[in-house]
Amino acid sequence: MLNVEIAAEPLFSIGPLTVTNSMVGALVASVILLVVAWYVTRRATLVPSRMQVLVEFPIEWIANIVQGTGGSRWRSFAPLVITIFIFVLIANWLGLLPGVGTIGYHAEHHGEEVLIPFVRAAGADLNFTLGLAIVSFIAFIAFGIKANGLGGYLKHTFIANPPYMTPIMTPIHIISELSRLISLSMRLFGNVFAGEVLLATMLALVPLVVPIAFLGLELVFGFVQALVFSLLTMTYVILAIAENEEHGRPELDDPDHDSPGEAPDHRAAPQGTAA
Amino acid sequence: MANWGLALDLGVRLGLSVVIGLGLGLLVDSWLHTNPAFTLVGIVLGVGAAFYTIWDVASRGMKR
Repeated sequence: MLNVEIAAEPLFSIGPLTVTNSMVGALVASVILLVVAWYVTRRATLVPSRMQVLVEFPIEWIANIVQGTGGSRWRSFAPLVITIFIFVLIANWLGLLPGVGTIGYHAEHHGEEVLIPFVRAAGADLNFTLGLAIVSFIAFIAFGIKANGLGGYLKHTFIANPPYMTPIMTPIHIISELSRLISLSMRLFGNVFAGEVLLATMLALVPLVVPIAFLGLELVFGFVQALVFSLLTMTYVILAIAENEEHGRPELDDPDHDSPGEAPDHRAAPQGTAA
Repeated sequence: MANWGLALDLGVRLGLSVVIGLGLGLLVDSWLHTNPAFTLVGIVLGVGAAFYTIWDVASRGMKR
């Protein structure tokens, strides 16, 4: 029977930790990333192989975007943005593979027998997207503190200008900051979960040919959502750092910064001789 | 491209700010049994936060 639960289904427990199928999806995505990164960096050469190009292309592409918009200290947060992009992309596309969401065990749910999949797209679980959003949230607060100092950051966050407006502006500022966290997490969750429901519905209605078009759409949506999540993280970090540049504290700038427009060289140094 | 993402985000944050203000107001009212005082305050602060978000993003964006 067609059944797409909004909450991830628990599979088993390890002590107090309940492992859900979306946790398995996130773990599989992590393992894929680790194995591919290990394999490619072990054999990285100056003249890249096809596999190396496949891995380096998205990294260079995002790094170029970060360099173009990130100002003088783009190198400090580029790894975070690139990691979020690739992780969310793999997690989103993993949900489109055959077997993900369709292979599982049968269980009784509200008196009806339903399929509980062993693996589910990680982004279709709010816990995963909220976790990522919290990482992003902490990162841009940390970059803000690094750029402005703890005192400067707290002053900007909790003390309004003029100071007599503080009792009104502080709760407004806190609500505005919270909206970033919820906006990031809900957007990714909503899009991936809606995609899961759409695919399940189309597969149930017209099992042949028609779902291919929706799978294609989901490939695009998965990519766009990964891009939006990572670029918003980048934008928030840039805005947090910009306050420092506004207040003229160039001594905090990264000493080894590149001038915008310079082509970055992200290719890994050759680890050995050409294969 | 970053500005494109920011514009997309701004629309969502406008609505969310009001919802967060309303939610926090309801929460405080349920704790203190003061319904609807803090709900109304929450809505006003949420709407204020929505306008503040637009001003904040626009002013910082223009400075960049």
